[in-house]
Amino acid sequence: MAQGELSDAAMKFVNELEMEMMVDMYNRMTVACQKKCIPAKYKDPDLTKGEAVCIDRCVAKYLEVHDRIGKKLTALSQQDEATMKKLQQQAQGN
Amino acid sequence: MAAPGKGTDGANLQSGFNEQMIPKHVNEQHVASFNVVIDHIIGYKKSPRTEPLVIGGVPQMPLSREEIFIKGIFDSCAFKSGASCVVGFALGGVFGLFTAGVDPMSTISPETPSTKMVLREMKNRSLSYGKNFALVGAMFAGTECLVESYRGKTELINGTMSGAIVGGILGVRAGLKAGVFGAAGFALFSTAIDYYMRH
Repeated sequence: MAQGELSDAAMKFVNELEMEMMVDMYNRMTVACQKKCIPAKYKDPDLTKGEAVCIDRCVAKYLEVHDRIGKKLTALSQQDEATMKKLQQQAQGN
Repeated sequence: MAAPGKGTDGANLQSGFNEQMIPKHVNEQHVASFNVVIDHIIGYKKSPRTEPLVIGGVPQMPLSREEIFIKGIFDSCAFKSGASCVVGFALGGVFGLFTAGVDPMSTISPETPSTKMVLREMKNRSLSYGKNFALVGAMFAGTECLVESYRGKTELINGTMSGAIVGGILGVRAGLKAGVFGAAGFALFSTAIDYYMRH
């Protein structure tokens, strides 16, 4: 694959992967926010104001955390790539 | 990807590794292609979505924009406060009417009151009680909604706190001691009512 450009098949693969990632993230987010925000005793089928506010905040925080960690991961990976390239050049030079 | 180094300094995690950690079959091309892919999924080349994503376990009709808007209004603190105000006014009016019939001021004067006087007293009492109840109801509902929004939890203690605040505000007009007693009394009263309603 060319650096920074993706062929059509690769783009389709990336889209599928992203879809899978979204679904997984949605599932985990639902579980985490439900555990955090909604106490175990159900007296009412409707969400009270406090619970609704809590869920809004939980989702916002979760998405932001996901975003930031994603950016950190890509930064780490770029460092890895640079180091590997250097190592390989050294290995070829020897 | 190699194991991350001991990066306990928050900002710049150094993924330091050496050659022995790299598996035999991984070369630089693998890492490069991995980087290209994750850049597109979670990194800086992530493209914004063109249409809303529909995920969900249980199939149900999605709410239209108008429904969400109306729900938002009905759940807002201002609406709850206003509704409490109106209901309080009505309740106070009925209560004032009732007390005007049971315990009127006209027992002071010995003559039988005329209809006009009775009606006037009913109106005055209803309005006075109605305004008081409306004010207290609006204040209490508004404070409780704000406290609950701030805390993000639904507990009995929200009622106690908002009762204390409203009782304090209403009582402090007559001095500090009256304010403290008012706060305590109102807090206790609202906790009792909440407990009865929710258990």
